Amino acid sequence: MSDLSTEVKQLIIETLDLEDIEATDINDEEALFVDGLGLDSIDALELGVAIKKAYDVKIDGNTDDSKKHFYSVKTLCDFIASTRA
Amino acid sequence: MKFAIKKCIAWGDGKTCLEDWQAFANNVSIQAQTLTLPELKQIPAMQRRRLSAFAKLTLHCALTASDTYQHEIPSVFSSRHGDLHKTSKLIADVASKEALSPTHFGLSVHNAVGGLFSIYTGNKAPLSAVSAGEDSFFMGLVDAVAKLHTRKYKRILYVYSDQAVPEHYQNYVQQHADNIAVGLLIEASDSVDNYSIECVGHDNVQSAENLQLQALDFLKFYFSQQQQLSTCSKRYKWQLTRS
Repeated sequence: MSDLSTEVKQLIIETLDLEDIEATDINDEEALFVDGLGLDSIDALELGVAIKKAYDVKIDGNTDDSKKHFYSVKTLCDFIASTRA
Repeated sequence: MKFAIKKCIAWGDGKTCLEDWQAFANNVSIQAQTLTLPELKQIPAMQRRRLSAFAKLTLHCALTASDTYQHEIPSVFSSRHGDLHKTSKLIADVASKEALSPTHFGLSVHNAVGGLFSIYTGNKAPLSAVSAGEDSFFMGLVDAVAKLHTRKYKRILYVYSDQAVPEHYQNYVQQHADNIAVGLLIEASDSVDNYSIECVGHDNVQSAENLQLQALDFLKFYFSQQQQLSTCSKRYKWQLTRS
């Protein structure tokens, strides 16, 4: 799980060009969008594509479910793990 | 068509400040001609991270030239190739059937940098994006001056930028591989800083493209004491006069 979390954080940093941020700076439970890390809607699209590419998961557009999955690194990891089960 | 240039900001390979451009105009430039990028510290880091080299060069000149007018000035952005580095990477992704990056897609369209300028400054004035082959610099200038006159604007911002094309396109472009961005603050002609632009001929003017970019022809003229710039392209004969 923690390996996946580091991997996802690294993916977020590289995909979104977060130059001054390191994986250890991102809190697992903190919000990725608006508050917390401060990502925006363009980042959401970009991250969706990257997650889809890296983990071959299906993400349904702008649904409440996908909003929950993309809330934090932890929810994202849980989502990826659940698709593998 | 007459107009006044109130400010000229340019950024190119090894040439970033007034002294560099004056040296270039007087043919005494000796420093390394490599491209450094403007820092654009005024743009918040979370917005700045998405800016390509092309966007940085262009925005630097647009913001510095428009300065205190940046929130309401109308503008024309011109470029022959646009952000071709971004576009060609997208095309490569299409060819290899990769999923396309939404950000890169959105920022590769021809008016993307103009859009970034208007979002960052909150500017809602009319903005257009021009591309006209090797005549992109002068055609964009004509568009800006024509808008200034017909719309009776007090002033208009003109920005031209181009980068050396990606390697696999280099065989198709005769012009020297220069990186250049120019921002001009243009106003209706007054008693000083006056220029007039004329297109004095067209159709089959010469058979090959000029090796030097028109923007560099212009900057050499602007920062020197010459009274007139005459230059030809394949299709047009341009004349810019200082008065």
